[in-house]
Amino acid sequence: MLRWIAGLALAAVAPAATPYPVVRPGITLRFPQDHGAHPAFRTEWWYVTGWLRTARGDDLGFQVTFFRTRPQTDPRNPSRFAPTQVLFAHAALSDAKTGRLFHGERVARAGFGLAQAREGDADVAIRDWRMRRLPDGRWATQVNADGFALTLALSPTQPPLPQGQGGYSRKGPRPEEASYYYSIPHLRVSGRVTRAGTTEPVTGEAWLDREWSSDYLAPEAQGWDWTGLNFDDGSALMAFRIRRKGGGTLWAGGALRRADGTRSVFAPGDVSFRPLAIWRSPATGATYPVAQQLSVRLADGIHRWRLQPLFAAQELDTRGSGMPVYWEGAVRTQGGRGYLELTGYAKALAM
Amino acid sequence: MTAPRLDVRGLGKSVPGPRRLFAGLDLAVRGGELVAILGESGVGKSTLLNMLAGLDEADEGTVTIEGSTLGPLDEAARTRLRRERIGFVFQAFHILPYLTLAQNVALPLALVSSDSRAAQARAEAMLDSVGLGGRGGDYARDLSGGELQRVAIARALVHAPALILADEPTGNLDPETAARVLALFGGAVRERGAAGVIVTHSDATAAIADRVLTLTAQGLVERRGG
Amino acid sequence: MAAEPDLWSGRLALGWLIGGEWRFHPGRFVLTAVAIAVGVALGFAVHLINGSALASFDGAVRGVGGGAELSVRAASPLGFDEALYPRVARAAGVRDASPVVKLDARIGSARLTLLGLDVIRAAAVTPALVGIAPERGNDAMFAEDAVFLSRAALAQTGAKIGAHVAVTANGRSVPLRVAGTLPGAGDTAVLGVIDIAAAQWRFGRLGTLDRIDLAVSDRAAAESALRGLPGATLSAAEAQNAQGDVLSRAYRVNLDMLALVALLTGGFLVYSAQSLSVARRQRAFALLRTLGMPRGGVVAAVAVEGLAIGVVGAGAGLVTGYVMAWAALRWFGGDLGAGYFGGGVVRLAFQPGAALGFFALGLAAAALGSAIPARLAARAAPAAALKNAGDVLDPRARVAWWPAAVLLVVGGAVALLPPVGGLPLFGFAGMALLLAGGVAGVPWFARVLLTPLARRSGGAVPRRLAIRHLHGAPNDAATALCGIVASTALMIAMATMITSFRGAVDDWLGQVLGADLYLRTSAGAVFDPATQARLSATPGVARAAFSRQLPLTIVPDRPPITLIARPERGAHDPLLVLIAPAVPLPTGARPVWVSEPAQRLYGWNPGDSVTLPIGGGARFTVAGVWRDYGRQTGAVLVDAHDYQRLTGDTGRDELAAMLRPGADTGAVTAAIQARLPADLRDQVEITRPATLRRFALTLFDRSFAVTYLLEAIAILVGLAGVAATISAQTMAREREFGMLRHLGLTRRQLTAMLATEGALVGLTGALAGIALGLVLAQVLIHVINPQSFNFTMSTRIPFGTLAAVAAALSGAAAATAILAGRRATARGAVQSVREDW
Repeated sequence: MLRWIAGLALAAVAPAATPYPVVRPGITLRFPQDHGAHPAFRTEWWYVTGWLRTARGDDLGFQVTFFRTRPQTDPRNPSRFAPTQVLFAHAALSDAKTGRLFHGERVARAGFGLAQAREGDADVAIRDWRMRRLPDGRWATQVNADGFALTLALSPTQPPLPQGQGGYSRKGPRPEEASYYYSIPHLRVSGRVTRAGTTEPVTGEAWLDREWSSDYLAPEAQGWDWTGLNFDDGSALMAFRIRRKGGGTLWAGGALRRADGTRSVFAPGDVSFRPLAIWRSPATGATYPVAQQLSVRLADGIHRWRLQPLFAAQELDTRGSGMPVYWEGAVRTQGGRGYLELTGYAKALAM
Repeated sequence: MTAPRLDVRGLGKSVPGPRRLFAGLDLAVRGGELVAILGESGVGKSTLLNMLAGLDEADEGTVTIEGSTLGPLDEAARTRLRRERIGFVFQAFHILPYLTLAQNVALPLALVSSDSRAAQARAEAMLDSVGLGGRGGDYARDLSGGELQRVAIARALVHAPALILADEPTGNLDPETAARVLALFGGAVRERGAAGVIVTHSDATAAIADRVLTLTAQGLVERRGG
Repeated sequence: MAAEPDLWSGRLALGWLIGGEWRFHPGRFVLTAVAIAVGVALGFAVHLINGSALASFDGAVRGVGGGAELSVRAASPLGFDEALYPRVARAAGVRDASPVVKLDARIGSARLTLLGLDVIRAAAVTPALVGIAPERGNDAMFAEDAVFLSRAALAQTGAKIGAHVAVTANGRSVPLRVAGTLPGAGDTAVLGVIDIAAAQWRFGRLGTLDRIDLAVSDRAAAESALRGLPGATLSAAEAQNAQGDVLSRAYRVNLDMLALVALLTGGFLVYSAQSLSVARRQRAFALLRTLGMPRGGVVAAVAVEGLAIGVVGAGAGLVTGYVMAWAALRWFGGDLGAGYFGGGVVRLAFQPGAALGFFALGLAAAALGSAIPARLAARAAPAAALKNAGDVLDPRARVAWWPAAVLLVVGGAVALLPPVGGLPLFGFAGMALLLAGGVAGVPWFARVLLTPLARRSGGAVPRRLAIRHLHGAPNDAATALCGIVASTALMIAMATMITSFRGAVDDWLGQVLGADLYLRTSAGAVFDPATQARLSATPGVARAAFSRQLPLTIVPDRPPITLIARPERGAHDPLLVLIAPAVPLPTGARPVWVSEPAQRLYGWNPGDSVTLPIGGGARFTVAGVWRDYGRQTGAVLVDAHDYQRLTGDTGRDELAAMLRPGADTGAVTAAIQARLPADLRDQVEITRPATLRRFALTLFDRSFAVTYLLEAIAILVGLAGVAATISAQTMAREREFGMLRHLGLTRRQLTAMLATEGALVGLTGALAGIALGLVLAQVLIHVINPQSFNFTMSTRIPFGTLAAVAAALSGAAAATAILAGRRATARGAVQSVREDW
């Protein structure tokens, strides 16, 4: 019903007329300012994915995401309802035991104290859904959806990991097709999960992605595959590829930060994804390579990781809130765990 | 000798006021017998006839038709009795103007059967026997008074009643016609073995009867008919 | 009556009997069936139209409401502060809240409701209000120039998708692009949707909302949390539908009642016709009973006839009613010209339940009309009936007056009982009883009326014979007359009520339209203070009184009252016609003058303290009650200064100007026109009082046009009945005429006798009907009208109508009698006397 918001948020609407700032290399990320919102840019997100474990030892995957988008509006409109900023939020919980994925979403235009994304430090909220950075440096998030609720505290154990060239992460053949991007891997999680009215304590490990951009995807891009992996030895790996419409890879990238803090940044030719298993969504009919082999060329040769999903049915159909259909699933790999994100499989993505 | 078709014993009737219309009236009429009852105006001839037909209640005495005594019967039973065993001929003919002659004659049959064709066929035969053969499709307005009374006679006989009651059947007819109608009536009653009762104040009419009785307050007084 | 198996066995004879009667008198059957058909048709048509109009109104309300179960609504078009939005959104029990700006707008000459929505919130709360663009119109939703139109709005404006239209609202005209449609808004809502921010900005509504639609998780909690919001009320979707219902309910019930009157008259007509038919066939029935048909056979025959009349009449009535409703909706609109459901599109909706109901009513009218004669016929002793040569009249027989008197007294008492649920049900019950009493009293009335005439000896023979016949047999006349008395009485009652109402409105208009010129703005445009000053200074204008009129919601499920703000304090307005004397106010009290309907609806009496939802709820003291026939839902008048202090609203939408003596109205009109700001010029209408008055009275007549029509039909049915009855009665007396001619009366004299009789019968009916009608009018004027419309008035008698009705009735009855008499005396005298049946 609300495909238009997806369009609005993600479509390349007459970029020539766009007053949006262009993403360029050569910046330095500054904290805590860059934890906060960058409202001038067209798109921005705070993206947390991770694994949780209940007291009984059950594994759960979770995702909490806040998006911010800046629609084109007439800047002269003095109305407090003027849609200068629109916020979206998604939350999902993957239960390995039942093979079920719960998810919920919120949308609102910013304003009236009901929805806003703060500048200066992380604090994004839509009514009772919130994600923020506490004064002690921990991150906290709370979401309350139909069927489940999450109240989580995320403690950084490592400094932020700027992606690409010091936070400038290129996404396509043109230099402005890029985003500002950093991650915080190995967040230690503690909190509560409520399912079907019962609340239980959980602990776990998560990954935070922060990204903002005005021109994320090249027009010839179909979508992307992305993964963020926390390894048991303390190292962290992020890899993505932008798929070309009609097949093939348009762009790729990523980085590996070892436990000792040394960092390897991947060039487009260093990363490849190979499907191992295909799952067809009964709801949307889209087919997803839910198990993949990730190959990365490092200085000491090519390393391979098999990404195996917690379970196959981790598709999110958030068209109801104006977002696209995508697959966002908890995955295991040798010596680590993380999340795999597959977009543009139901329909080409524009962003 | 067979039992009388009509057997009246000790019949009495009062009218409002101190006067008694009549009392202790006895009458027996056999099948094939025609009885005339003469009397002055107001003596109660019509009332007697109504009592014989079960249309009026007796104050005392009984009326028995073919073994059925009217007194204890309820209205529905008396109605049924009338429908099945009594035929009527009226002074004013009472031929319904909006029914065909055949329908008029067939009315007593139509009251007990829904077979319209059979009823009308019998009515046609009946009309034939009163000299009006082939006129079953006509209406009352096409007929003279004498013809109308012949239709009425046909209607009175069509269901082969045990008892035929006639109230001044020739009162509205000229003497010549009256004589012809009466002859027809008398012949028909006798031929079918019904018991006939004619109420009249005309000696000429009474003349065709087998017996002539005069109604007085004391009852019926028999006299030799001529 | 116990079940008689004989009845069934005698069905052939019964069939012959009924069939013969129908073959010989088909006209009588057709006429009675038509009488039933007319009643059923009128009732069904009125019901269908009302039902369809209401369904469309509900549809439109639902369309504009978007299906929200609960809404916070502004009490007036001034709206409420948008700061209320976060408070409402966070209230307990509220799952989601969708803020709405609502404007009365127009595109060209088409009026529509323009909603400003946050499409994100609307998608969650009122998805039916979310527009669909034909192709990937992604950005259209937040685009400031995009408007989405409902199907009815597209049809009425003639706009196409992609076209640019000028939308005028709140005094501003804004060019917008038709971006798409509103498939969820239904077929009847004339609706446009734009972005809420654009609505606030482009139409001058910054900081203001008119409505917040709610999705609730706990309705009870939400209702208690949202009580007492400043300038707004919490109302459920049902309450909005109820408004339309309340607004027109009294009018609709009145129309239903009129239609039932026609049916009742039809029932009387069946009664007349069947009585005569039974009387005529008395001897046929007697013959059959003698021949052995059970007593029930007579009842069965008459009942079967009645049912057949009912089935044929009611069936034809349903078809006719449906066609009439269709035609009326096509040519007059869903409110039949009364203006209750302004501007909506009405579609005819077949209502099987109602069809069945009216069919049953028609059948019942025919069956009841036949039942009484049938029982009378069955009761007669067959032997006596057979013997009797004709009706045995006893001119000395007393005519009972007490049943009529009892009915009249009880009817009068019942009429005085209070309304039930805002409807004058007891009033109508009282009228029905009075009507029955009146009809029952007709024989007595005829006897009383004719006794002095009958006592007078001398005069022409025909006239004496006529009078003596009626005097001796008043029940015959009553049989002929009951239908006509009933319909005449009701018609006179309605005519008297309407004459009184119209006279009162006319007088009132003369009193309130005291100024020389009136200016009124449209589509929410206002005179700002600068314009007001400029207009006041127009040469030739002695005094300019600016006023503001706003709908104000007092109770969510009732239609809003009208708030009028006018300079009232100090210089008392001579145009205010007070009913109740003004009361001295406590010092410092803010005065409010309430209209009569407002007083009756809300119980606001002089001296009472009243809180009005303006300026966040302000207390006023009722200073007086004024007469108002213009606003059925109530109105209150407050001083303009008080209003301005409370609301900050300086705009005015109406100006009443008194001119200097000798000023030329035309010149002043032109001068005023010239002084209006250019953008206001085409949104202001300048009228003179005479035009307004004419317009108001035209509106009045339009709203009663259908009433007149229904009455006329009822009276025609009645006249047809009287004609049929008189002709049947005349034909039945053929032998009497033959005898009279034997005695030496000429045909001319016979005709004169019949004409006199007919005229007397007609006159008796007319007089009885008029007398009864005037009594019923009092119930209408003093009970039904105040209880339905909350207006009071004094009685005015329409003498012209009364005379016309009396003349028409006597004339029609006399003419019928003459025509029937011609036929009855056409045959030879000898034949007539000899004729048995």
